[in-house]
Amino acid sequence: MISRLLKETDWERIKVLLEKLDQYQLPPVPGLEERISKLSVSLNSAGFDRWGFHPDTLRKVAPLLYWVYTKYFRVEVSGLENCPHGRALYVGNHGGQLPMDAMIIGLALFLETDPPRIGRAMVERFVPTLPFVSGLFSRLGAMVGDPENCLDLLNHDQSVLVFPEGARGSGKLYTERYELQRFGTGFVRLALETKAPIVPVAIIGTEEMYPSIYNLKSLAKLIGAPYFPITPFFPFLGALGLVPLPTKVTIRFGAPIHFEGDHHESEDAIREKTEVVKGVLRKEMEEGLRQRGNAIFGK
Amino acid sequence: MKPKLLITGASGALAHLVAQSLSPNWKVIGVDPRPERLRGTFPGEYIQAEYNHRRMDEVFHQHQFQGLIHLGRIRETAQVSATERFQLNVVGTKRLLDLAKRASVPKHVVLSTYHVYGAHRLNALYLKEDAPLRASQTFKELADAVEMDHAATNFMWRERGSTTVVLRAANVVGKNVQNAICTMLRAGLAPRVLGFDPLFQFIDEQDAARAIILALDAKESAVYNLAGEGVLSYSKAIELSRALAIPVPPLGLRWVGAGLSKLGLSLPRYLFEYFKYPVVVDDSAFQKAFVFQPKVKTREALAALALGRDRAVYLPT
Repeated sequence: MISRLLKETDWERIKVLLEKLDQYQLPPVPGLEERISKLSVSLNSAGFDRWGFHPDTLRKVAPLLYWVYTKYFRVEVSGLENCPHGRALYVGNHGGQLPMDAMIIGLALFLETDPPRIGRAMVERFVPTLPFVSGLFSRLGAMVGDPENCLDLLNHDQSVLVFPEGARGSGKLYTERYELQRFGTGFVRLALETKAPIVPVAIIGTEEMYPSIYNLKSLAKLIGAPYFPITPFFPFLGALGLVPLPTKVTIRFGAPIHFEGDHHESEDAIREKTEVVKGVLRKEMEEGLRQRGNAIFGK
Repeated sequence: MKPKLLITGASGALAHLVAQSLSPNWKVIGVDPRPERLRGTFPGEYIQAEYNHRRMDEVFHQHQFQGLIHLGRIRETAQVSATERFQLNVVGTKRLLDLAKRASVPKHVVLSTYHVYGAHRLNALYLKEDAPLRASQTFKELADAVEMDHAATNFMWRERGSTTVVLRAANVVGKNVQNAICTMLRAGLAPRVLGFDPLFQFIDEQDAARAIILALDAKESAVYNLAGEGVLSYSKAIELSRALAIPVPPLGLRWVGAGLSKLGLSLPRYLFEYFKYPVVVDDSAFQKAFVFQPKVKTREALAALALGRDRAVYLPT
């Protein structure tokens, strides 16, 4: 049918185009090897670190991630001087259905700080059930947000990335964007226990990437997901609907917060400290939103 | 006169290695329900008997054992029904430990498996010994493994006069090891669940044998996780053992399982769950208690599997 519509020369042209697309190589990431070698990780004989981080996987996907980071989202970062050496708990705002915020902050920590860090993202408990994503995330240093995992990482002086809003944050509708939801308190207890500084990270742009207009709870329940977003493009455009909008992304690392005290304190006392972090993060977000301008084009 | 030691699962590769290393100082007696794989190769006396059979009473009457190493656990295959397996593994273990208690055997080592923790998305990455055993919840085919572990730990808590060490070992690999994952990687065909690539741990048979021997001389009873060098993804393990990965969509698992068993490679169904979610154990307690460091690199242990491969057996040409 199609072959009748198209002339043979058209076929050839399409073939050449597809071949070109197939062979297209993204430009290499400048200084990638140097950055990888500067990471403070010890690898076993199979090339993995203690938590399943796999530099070879990073090498493979780095060009694509770099392109997405620099060209697609045009990420701008400020406050890099606030990233501590050694253990740290980065606390970010969460939104935008898929954990793109974790990926982008992780990339910022790897690409922009010196020495580079692996942002160990603590992901939602349903992430291991996602095909393809689960493996890739694990190879790039992410882990399920279990307190045990977080404790183990901090005790080994790693940079851990948490989103205390959890699924409450990432499942937000477009109309609720940049409204911080209720924070879990576990992260403050972990910071107290390991004496790790808390770095508030405001990420702007990620909460508009997948503008969810409705959360189809019944379907979410059926497939065992915490939420099922309906956006203007998903699920109506199928896989195409998974492509995020090309928003302008800015990241602001706030000044580290050091808490003192006992991690077995009452929930009220911990809640107070959590609110302090939330307050600082909210301020950073407001500043970031003011400076950004248009969601797609920036200023 | 050398003290006497009873090793179960004597037909297996691990028992051979342990018996070999211990034979200069111990008189080793091996028991297994299976016949000896290669007649006359077991370094010690070989007795073919089921652990819950009356024959075991006689064995304990004849010999005054100073140690028991229980390595025998029958894995899920098509040939043995679940009831039979439960009988052999759980009832058999209880009976063995009972006989050992009556004969006042002072030292016990029981080899359990990391499978008892169960492949579950809620698992922390480094499971300590006190983590919940979810296996019987996720797969009833593993109920016998969990129950066997319970039987051993119960015995350990009850019998404070003797020492009992329960080792929950990661996947043991070695050229003659017959566990499911080893058989599969050696055969060169490795199904994986499409889209999933969990972290795995392996331990070389030599290291496992060394750990078991160390555990025999433990000062205190305890449960320990046991693993080799580091973690790696399942796909990397397949790559290192130069096997062929067969990606299976989650819905086609049953079908592929049936196909593979036609090729002479029967995989327990629960294993597919371990191809989806990681079960990574924290082995630091054992390393600390016994100053133990695995000597064989995981890369080498897996590469060695490829060397001993006889493809013709499994791949019809």
